[in-house]
Amino acid sequence: MSDISVVGMLAENWMMIIGIIIGGLCISVGVHFVPVGGAPAAMAQATGIGTGTVQLATGSGLTGLLAAGFMYKALAAGGIGLSEIVLICATGAVGAMIMICVTMLVGNWVYIYGVGTPPASAKVDYDPITGNSQAPYVAPGTVGQGMPTVCFVSGTMGGLLGGLGGSLIYCMLMGVNGDPAISSIFAIGIFVVNAVLPSYNIQGTIEGFHDPKFKRVPKAIVACFVASLLCGIIAVLIPGIGGV
Amino acid sequence: MDPSMGMGLVALMGAAATVAGCSEDLESDIGSQSNPNSQVQLAAQVGYPHRVFNKAISGEPPSNAMYCAVGAGVAMMLMSESTIAASPLLAIAVGAFVSALLNGVFSTTSYLGRSASQTRFNQYVYLDVLRNHVFGIMGHAYITAFCIVGLSYIMWAVLPVTHPFPFPVIALIWGLAVGAIGSSTGDVHYCAEREFQDFKFGAGVNASDSGDITRFAEAGLRSSMDNAWFCSKFGGPVTGVAFGLVVFLDNWRSTAFEGWTAVVVGLVIVSLLIIYNRRLELYARKTYGPYPEYAGEIEA
Repeated sequence: MSDISVVGMLAENWMMIIGIIIGGLCISVGVHFVPVGGAPAAMAQATGIGTGTVQLATGSGLTGLLAAGFMYKALAAGGIGLSEIVLICATGAVGAMIMICVTMLVGNWVYIYGVGTPPASAKVDYDPITGNSQAPYVAPGTVGQGMPTVCFVSGTMGGLLGGLGGSLIYCMLMGVNGDPAISSIFAIGIFVVNAVLPSYNIQGTIEGFHDPKFKRVPKAIVACFVASLLCGIIAVLIPGIGGV
Repeated sequence: MDPSMGMGLVALMGAAATVAGCSEDLESDIGSQSNPNSQVQLAAQVGYPHRVFNKAISGEPPSNAMYCAVGAGVAMMLMSESTIAASPLLAIAVGAFVSALLNGVFSTTSYLGRSASQTRFNQYVYLDVLRNHVFGIMGHAYITAFCIVGLSYIMWAVLPVTHPFPFPVIALIWGLAVGAIGSSTGDVHYCAEREFQDFKFGAGVNASDSGDITRFAEAGLRSSMDNAWFCSKFGGPVTGVAFGLVVFLDNWRSTAFEGWTAVVVGLVIVSLLIIYNRRLELYARKTYGPYPEYAGEIEA
């Protein structure tokens, strides 16, 4: 493959690369919204969902990707334009929101009925949405437990952004190569890249948009912009190597 | 295909997902994989050697994604016309068996490696623990892989509008999702309650009690089978409900509705879940009340 064809391919698909970058940034910001507490949360020792940042964000985002892939196929016969892309992204976002909402709700069942603790945040004195006091409900020796309303809403927003970003990346990749197999695998890869980088910001636990760590979002945006740009360039070039 | 047939298939997928979620959680509970592993690993180091199975293969989502993708890959290969063109049911069963074998290999090496590395803390390698638990873990892993590969096959080849992703990729994504859900829901029941059953009910684990896991059972020493028995009463089934709801609700709205209607239905579901969670939170605050140890100025 000559240098000219590489430049030509990049010039031809610059819109797709921009779409992949926007999708990556959505995922990056979305990960910060998801309330995760890792192993401490699983011991009801910290507020949030008891699993890792990347794992939950990826689990919900890729569930949305499945819904988006389904919708893309349903709409493909009539041609994919801007309105179709918006619908596909909305479908993916809602799919991810359903996954994360059900997970948080059932997680709260376990905290409330299985462990016997009321959901409470240790990062704020009052829930910014409901106004309920939090500190009296935090168990001694812990930094909160479960998902109070503010964390639940924040997690829903995280699912929305994650599903939206993953679906947008899938649409862009389908625009480049038209193959659902390659596009889905590349979309999973780009999703994970953009979910892993913000986890360095989060350092294990974050409660959501009300957590002080949320202010670190700009750093993740810069890092994920660079990573998504590189991923976008590779994603555009690889079908070219295959002769498409 | 009759639309009611499509809905029936979605219901079947939801049922398979419910079973898969439950068995996935119990499999991780027997092996103390993922979050609870931090305490099992720490216990010996802070002076509490135990007979609990210790496998930290990886987080649950990546490991289950791998098992399910392997199972689907093997099933797809067996179903191919260029090999033996096996029936889907047989191919899925063989694929799930291969993924269970893979799980057994990882569980064995993980237990031996983890326990052997803690010799200095008097944590022994118990061969009877290994023999008694690995088959229980593999059995649960088989059920999980069979159900997820099966529901992925329905999406890929049977639904009125089949899914465009490759069969193993669909299984990989559902495997990842079931691991994320199991790790977020059922694990809490084991990690926060069963592992610390000596402590008073109604609070999370105090940071100063980390590693002090319950090592004695109702009779004799506690094993990981006892933990699975306990978690099968609540943690496992609710994990199944969570995964079943995710699979059913997401596919139901895509199958029963089209276009923006499906999106709006999804948003209505999300809104209802947020409202229900708020009511649940209020119930818990009212039922349990503030902790008596709290000495702050904030009015409860």
